[in-house]
Amino acid sequence: MDIAGSLLVGGVSFGRNLVGIITRPYETYRRIVDRGNVWELIPIGLILAFYFSLSSLVKTAAFRPFLLTKQFILLSGGAASGFLLTVAILWGAAWLIGKKARVALAWAYTLIPTVFWFLTTSILSIILPPPRTQSAAGVSFSMLFLIFSVTLLWWKVTLAYLTLRFGLKLDLGRIFAVFAVCVPVWGLWSYFMYKWGIFKVPFL
Amino acid sequence: MTNTTYQKFVKRWEEVTELPPQTLGPLTPYYKMLVRHLKVMPWPVFVLSSLLLVLALYFLIGSAITFIVSLLQKGF
Repeated sequence: MDIAGSLLVGGVSFGRNLVGIITRPYETYRRIVDRGNVWELIPIGLILAFYFSLSSLVKTAAFRPFLLTKQFILLSGGAASGFLLTVAILWGAAWLIGKKARVALAWAYTLIPTVFWFLTTSILSIILPPPRTQSAAGVSFSMLFLIFSVTLLWWKVTLAYLTLRFGLKLDLGRIFAVFAVCVPVWGLWSYFMYKWGIFKVPFL
Repeated sequence: MTNTTYQKFVKRWEEVTELPPQTLGPLTPYYKMLVRHLKVMPWPVFVLSSLLLVLALYFLIGSAITFIVSLLQKGF
């Protein structure tokens, strides 16, 4: 198959899996791990690039190509480093327990809730810029925003769990053990991202 | 036709039995009950649990939740 055909197949599979991770996450994750196509990474990358472009525009006060490009590269590099770090840990875990890891694509799909939260938060910060006041409207908005955020967090946690469950074929105890290794590394990575002014909320 | 259905069944059976079922000792029935709701359209469970968590947080810290939201909104 040529490149255009592979891209088309990847795009169609991505669309199908996107609907699947919303409506039937378990069944879809089995499919992603068993029959996932590396070309599905392209649409995921494009969605991330769209968000990083928008975020660069929002974050950079001056509309200057150099500053916008610099911001875009910083955000893309930061997100890519977090992704590669996580996949490396999961590959390491698979190697330690002597199993075959098929986690890169599965973990890439867990970035969908993340990018959706960041995108919504960026748009909301333009429409309703912080800080929130302690008025009834401020508290109501805050509660709705937190419900939205926690709902997306549960979705993210479920997809991360399914990545390990089907990608590494682990039981719950070992999944917790792998996450116990991941958390300090993510913590350190988040600290440097914060310190370097790339992500205040970790993009994982 | 029957042969195709049978092949689909075998393929699905192999997919499902590839992983041993998850067990959590005495908590297994509760785990199964939760997972049953997460397999297809998990959103009601996600939203309901988020609502309860945020309400608990509101009763705990009151209108200070606006501070958390301000931090999160600046954090993208």
